Amino acid sequence: MKKTPTVGEILQAKGVSRRGFLKYCATTASILALPPSMIPRIAKAIENARRPSVIWLSFQECTGCTESLTRSASPTVEGLIFDAISLDYHHTLQAAAGDQAEAARHAAMEENDGSYLVLVDGSIPLANPGYSTIAGISNVDMLKETVAGAAAVVSIGSCAAFGGIPGADPNPTGAVSVMDIVTDKPVINVPGCPPIPMVMTAVLTQFLTFGTLPDLDKHGRPMAFYGKTIHDRCYRRPFYEQGRFAETFDDEGAKAGWCLYKLGCKGPITYNACATTKWNSGTSFPIESGHPCLGCSEPNFWDKGGFYEPLSTGKFDSGTKLAGAAAAGVALGVVAAAAGRRKQSKFAREG
Amino acid sequence: MTTVDGRHTLDREAERLAYKPPEVRHDKQGDMGSKERIDKAMWNFLKDFNTQTASYLDGCLHCGMCADACHFHVRTDDPQYTPIWKIELFKRTYKRNVGPFAFFYRLLGLKRKVTIEDLEEWQHLIYDSCTVCGRCSLVCPMGIDVAGLVSMARHGMFKAGLIPHELHEVAKKAAETGSPLGITPDKFEERVEWMADEHDVEIPLDVEQADVLAVMSSIEIQKYPQSIAATAKILNAAGESWTFRKDGFEATNFGLLSGNPDWQKAASMKLIDAAIKIGAKTLVLPECGHAYMALRWMGANMYGKPLPFKVLHISEYLADALNTGKIKVKKVDTSVTYHDPCQVSRRGGATQAARDVIKHLGVDFREMEYGGDYNWCCGGGGGVVTITRADPLRHRVFKLKMDQVEKTEADELLSSCANCRQSFDDSQQHFGWDYTMGSLMEMVAENLEEGKS
Amino acid sequence: MDLLEFARGPALQWAAYILVAGSIWRIVGILLLKEKSDFSEPRKRAGLSAALKVIYTRSFTAQPFARATMYPKMMAYVQHIGLFAVVFLFVPHIMFFEGFLGFEWPGLPNSIIYVFGVAAVVASLALLIRRVTSPVLRLISNFDDYFSGFVAILPIATGLLIPVRMGFRYEDLLAIHILSVALFMIWLPFGKLGHVFLVFITRGTTGMAFERRGAKT
Repeated sequence: MKKTPTVGEILQAKGVSRRGFLKYCATTASILALPPSMIPRIAKAIENARRPSVIWLSFQECTGCTESLTRSASPTVEGLIFDAISLDYHHTLQAAAGDQAEAARHAAMEENDGSYLVLVDGSIPLANPGYSTIAGISNVDMLKETVAGAAAVVSIGSCAAFGGIPGADPNPTGAVSVMDIVTDKPVINVPGCPPIPMVMTAVLTQFLTFGTLPDLDKHGRPMAFYGKTIHDRCYRRPFYEQGRFAETFDDEGAKAGWCLYKLGCKGPITYNACATTKWNSGTSFPIESGHPCLGCSEPNFWDKGGFYEPLSTGKFDSGTKLAGAAAAGVALGVVAAAAGRRKQSKFAREG
Repeated sequence: MTTVDGRHTLDREAERLAYKPPEVRHDKQGDMGSKERIDKAMWNFLKDFNTQTASYLDGCLHCGMCADACHFHVRTDDPQYTPIWKIELFKRTYKRNVGPFAFFYRLLGLKRKVTIEDLEEWQHLIYDSCTVCGRCSLVCPMGIDVAGLVSMARHGMFKAGLIPHELHEVAKKAAETGSPLGITPDKFEERVEWMADEHDVEIPLDVEQADVLAVMSSIEIQKYPQSIAATAKILNAAGESWTFRKDGFEATNFGLLSGNPDWQKAASMKLIDAAIKIGAKTLVLPECGHAYMALRWMGANMYGKPLPFKVLHISEYLADALNTGKIKVKKVDTSVTYHDPCQVSRRGGATQAARDVIKHLGVDFREMEYGGDYNWCCGGGGGVVTITRADPLRHRVFKLKMDQVEKTEADELLSSCANCRQSFDDSQQHFGWDYTMGSLMEMVAENLEEGKS
Repeated sequence: MDLLEFARGPALQWAAYILVAGSIWRIVGILLLKEKSDFSEPRKRAGLSAALKVIYTRSFTAQPFARATMYPKMMAYVQHIGLFAVVFLFVPHIMFFEGFLGFEWPGLPNSIIYVFGVAAVVASLALLIRRVTSPVLRLISNFDDYFSGFVAILPIATGLLIPVRMGFRYEDLLAIHILSVALFMIWLPFGKLGHVFLVFITRGTTGMAFERRGAKT
């Protein structure tokens, strides 16, 4: 077997300075909420890490997660780290196709049995496996086959984590999430539509450094990034408290950057790092750009009431049913009054 | 009535004025079985229920504010005298039988059925400790006429044969003889003749046709017969064509007080028939409180259609007559305070009339604190003054009146209800109090200007 | 379906049906009982205007009773006004109403709403304490009184808890808050909370009856 170079060797070969590398480790330690004393440990771990084998499975997805994770305006250390990982199988990024691609997958699975990571984006259709196949293999079969020897599975994006848009009502393909199928391996959910790139790499870095999975919340999401709501970290929160809300997308309040609750912001129930870590290397995030949070890192966010319906709107049914209830009330009242009057007549007669 | 005789020095803080609960007496009439009594009590309470009364029993919030308005509770701090508590058994039965959710109340046993012990215990709450004065009805934030509900409860209690004995006897006498004190028409005639003689005043009796029918209360006929003469003086001075009638002279209505609608109707109809017979345009009621409520506001409903004549309380008649100059009075040089009878002022709506009369009398008028529509009840109305076991309670409550009157420092105390007068007289004797209640009508009669007598 | 979806969806829907059906049942059941005709000659005309007058004036205690009833009256006012402010002047609630009414109105800043909410809860507790300590109220109070009080305090208390969190997740607290509102809506027609609509009937009928006699209302 060829000896894979360490991550440190690769970085050096690519001209990353020691200083630049340590800066990356410091940033990573910081966003993982680790003390500075951990920086050397992270550095050592990454430097000496053999490039772990990563098999990336893409199912019913839009490729947005891959786009997010690989997008870089200029070569960034994240991008390079990503390069440094032995990405042995990825539909969009791999050069091979057809039988050769499948062969590469199987080779990676055999060589790294028990230690490779499976990353998944896209949901898995169960209504008819034929809805989504690769090389003639259904998604569900490929998933089961590939995770059999995996160390852990990471669901990238809301489709893999929770079913995503294919799984939204009426879910014609019977789409399910990875964790609905994989129950015997550790699964980390990194939801978002798409997820923040830094979150992805930080999760991998944690795995590389400690060989363990991060603390997860009840939806299997890393607490470090999904532990607080957008609402609790949003810079527009003071406006919420003051009662200053944008009523439309371009009124004075919107221009002044007021709270977007009335325009449907799902910030209060959405757990993600958008408000702090932001997007495009900290440039902005939807709320800062003037659009209410969609809640895209939450399960079933597509079906949780309209994006532009305020969070406190009830999901009432039709007015017809309510009119029916009113009619029922009238009927019951009439019956009760009639019964009461009949009793009164009886009392008058026999009293 | 109290049997205590003689005066005793007034010592308000003394032990003897401590409140004693009424002796436990469960009066019963007739020999019905318990179940029959319970049924009769509940049925006769419920049979006249309508939207208004139903909403009352459904709408009570148990806020307890009615207790703060009731003289019986205020003077004893006994929570059982909370006005709405007096209705509790009947509230339960309403919810079980006539309320909108009655079916479910019965099905799920959400309210206990009323027992005979309950009803016996409640007798003194409904009769001894309620004068139907209506203060509770004014304080209730939901606007519930609690006093009216007690009257309805009495309908049930009467038919169940569970009313205080004295009240029953008095009401029965009234039903049988036409007067609670057994004053027959002939006895009435005797008294009329006596008063005509004694006061040298012409008193028409049994005239065939007259514009005005005047009536009296047995209390006045028996205890304050000068009222007969005073009434005559006034009506004569006003130049009315008027008469008393032997076939319709009794204004009191113990059917109303005891809770027997049949007896109530019978008593009212006597007056109505007499007025119609003589073609009266006006029926003048005497100084009596519940007589006003019985005829002015409930009479037409007993009759089944609008009355063909006007009904006036004597104080209203006097106000009218004085305001229009039909009669004139001399100015009286004294200071006066006025005790409003509950059924005439607060419940009856004739509060202003007495004040017009007082104004014409030219006295130094001192309104009591909480006078007028919010006046404290004399404690003897609603039949309470007839119930001997309630005497200690009634006397205890009377302290409110004594304080209220004394605060005005007025020379004279007037009212326009003979039952209040009776209650005041009794308590005056009990406490050795130095105020004697006078009659507004008598003061007018005594001070008529250039009146023919 | 998670708890929040259930709370906002089926729970609120069914609560609305029960609220509407139950309230109308109770009102119709009372309104369709016998009508009392009165043949006595009225002293004053007393129609709808009399009813409306007393519906308004009975909100205030008459002077002679004011001192004796001051404490519970004040507490009840603080409770009701606090509840009104919290329900109708908190922007997320306003958006809730806008969802089915189609129109909205201005609200107050959250901090002020919070003060009203705390005041309402404190007043409610004060009244509850009075209910168990006053001899009059101990005698006359029943299950309905205590349960209605509990059901009314719960939405305010759970709502106040949401910004405080206390270690719970926002969506869980929101779900429980909405469920407590659903419980309130379900209980309202059947117990003494029904006074929200009964008050018009009780005060109105008394107003008409008393005004007719020229009696004090």
